[in-house]
Amino acid sequence: MKKEALSRRDALKFGALGAGLAVFGASNAFAAAPLEKDVKFDEEYDVIVIGTGFAGLAAAAKAAQRGNTVLIVEKMGRIGGNSAINGGAFAVPNNPDQKKHGIEDSAERFIADSLKAGLGINHVELLEVIAARAIDAFEFSRECGAEYKLGDKPSWFGGHSVPRTLVTSDMTGAGIIKPMTEFVEKLPRCKIYRRTKFDDFVLDAGGRVVGIMARTNYRFDSKLFSDDLENTTGEKKVYKAKKGVVLASGGFSADRIYRKLQNPQIPDNSDTTNHAGATAGAMLKAFQIGAFPVQVDWIQEGPWASPDERGFGVGPQLNQQGLFKYGIVVDVRNGKRFMNELADRKTRADAQYKILKEAPEAFPVALGTYNTFDKQILPLVEKGLATGVMKKYNTLDELAADRKIPVAALKESVAKFNEGVKKGVDEFGKPVASFNGECIDMKGPFYSTRTAPKPHHTMGGVKINTKAQVISALTNKPIPGLFAAGEVTGGTHGASRLGSCAVTDCLTFGMIAGENI
Amino acid sequence: MSGGKTLAIAGVFLVLGVMSLIGGESDSPLKPIVITPELKEEFPLKSHHAKLSFECTFCHVGQGDDPKEFTYIGDEGCLSCHQSKEHMAERLAFMDKLHVNPHNSIHDGPTLYCDECHNEHKPSTNMCTECHEHDIDLWMRPTP
Repeated sequence: MKKEALSRRDALKFGALGAGLAVFGASNAFAAAPLEKDVKFDEEYDVIVIGTGFAGLAAAAKAAQRGNTVLIVEKMGRIGGNSAINGGAFAVPNNPDQKKHGIEDSAERFIADSLKAGLGINHVELLEVIAARAIDAFEFSRECGAEYKLGDKPSWFGGHSVPRTLVTSDMTGAGIIKPMTEFVEKLPRCKIYRRTKFDDFVLDAGGRVVGIMARTNYRFDSKLFSDDLENTTGEKKVYKAKKGVVLASGGFSADRIYRKLQNPQIPDNSDTTNHAGATAGAMLKAFQIGAFPVQVDWIQEGPWASPDERGFGVGPQLNQQGLFKYGIVVDVRNGKRFMNELADRKTRADAQYKILKEAPEAFPVALGTYNTFDKQILPLVEKGLATGVMKKYNTLDELAADRKIPVAALKESVAKFNEGVKKGVDEFGKPVASFNGECIDMKGPFYSTRTAPKPHHTMGGVKINTKAQVISALTNKPIPGLFAAGEVTGGTHGASRLGSCAVTDCLTFGMIAGENI
Repeated sequence: MSGGKTLAIAGVFLVLGVMSLIGGESDSPLKPIVITPELKEEFPLKSHHAKLSFECTFCHVGQGDDPKEFTYIGDEGCLSCHQSKEHMAERLAFMDKLHVNPHNSIHDGPTLYCDECHNEHKPSTNMCTECHEHDIDLWMRPTP
């Protein structure tokens, strides 16, 4: 492959940026980006989309359907980023399957659920758009070829007050990504450049986004500490976007530098449930040209993840729909419980971090018995055992010895928890009254996992309005020519996003960006 | 990839014994590359390619005669012999049943770049391990 050493300094020089600085002065935010008059465009499109996830493809599909020429740039070799590895669960308020099964839902109900999880700091106007248009986004994805398991009662995800989640036929977000990719590529003069890294926005003299700088033949390198800062591969290109640019670059859960700046509890070597390319670089470029940052330090972490496997894995389901319910999680150092295993994600992750800060290797251990597992995840029990993420023991003594937990203390914790369940009162406020006495079955066998919080969804990002236009901190008005959608935007879900609402958010606002550009 | 090259490679597969007679690019003015032990060590071939006694220029078509200057041949290079991604997917179609066909995965379909997993001159990796670190052993052998 051709390599061209392109340092950040070179990238800034490219396009004679010095001239821009001289004219606008260093205090001008968009002086940080190359100017149209200083660059030569290699190719020209109506619309350029950054990122091939749900948001990017939905934006591109809508824009292309309206007759625009569209270029989508994707820095990775794969299409779809997190969207392609996501579970394909799509919260759709007022969907046909709810009606079919007599489930009463409403936009207000959806918004109330989201606000409750989001601790009230959600940008409600964006939730209103999602609630109103989720059904359109669902139908649009079907128009593009996505298929869903329909007809049954919708799935009921945690925090939703009614079942409202529809799932793709293949139970992955790729069930939407693959057909949408084909849909876009079939439309005239629309293409996707993979291994093409967005480097910068190109602005005109008035501050309007009129194109992007990118590098083709880019090879993402997950061995680097920061791919964004260190990777110099690729050949530089400049692409013109006559109508504008849609930023749909996703979140930054895999960005070691930026996530730690926002939450210093996250160690550099922390795994994430995300794909390796989920970095902050593109979002930071939007901040550099003046986009308002919103709630970037709210990073949703999954307290149900396992340090014994990479990425999302099987641990989350074994814990969420298994050990965390009728079972308990203990601190391996003293055998004691330290949290309500069914509390919200942030409360639990913070409780885990309290331990991991004192002893980075003391991953809290979850344990339970067979009655713990929901029926639908029983097949995963075997997988968890086969891969070593979960272990099975005949007695608590065996478990304690293997997990290096003081055995007397562990037995005491189990006994105390079981008594609490029978009384209907838990010392950490777990809703045990609803368990009908179901708890850890002392005759065993006992199942156990190690747990670790992993960054899962970054709640913050750039500020958009209801038309998916990015709002400038310089003017409090839309930055001309710049739209954004999906996880790179902030505020919609407030402190914590409910499960299965990411697909809804990304597709809805992606579609809106494509409609408005 | 040139048609001449494709034919040459086809010839290799058909008549391995007389491969040396066919050679690489017959009319090439380039001087032949002598595969020294050092070169072999620096740019090792996969065992199945080595067995076929591939010459550098079979893959690095039109890239001159200095191995140090050779560049990545891309999907197009791989597929000049291996036909198409769909063809490769078909060869592992028996894995479709469990949704674990790496050439037609549930997440990507037959769209991945070959070198996402396969390398020629250094050990291959398996992209699936990024998420399926342990369970991949249940359904796949090491990546060729």
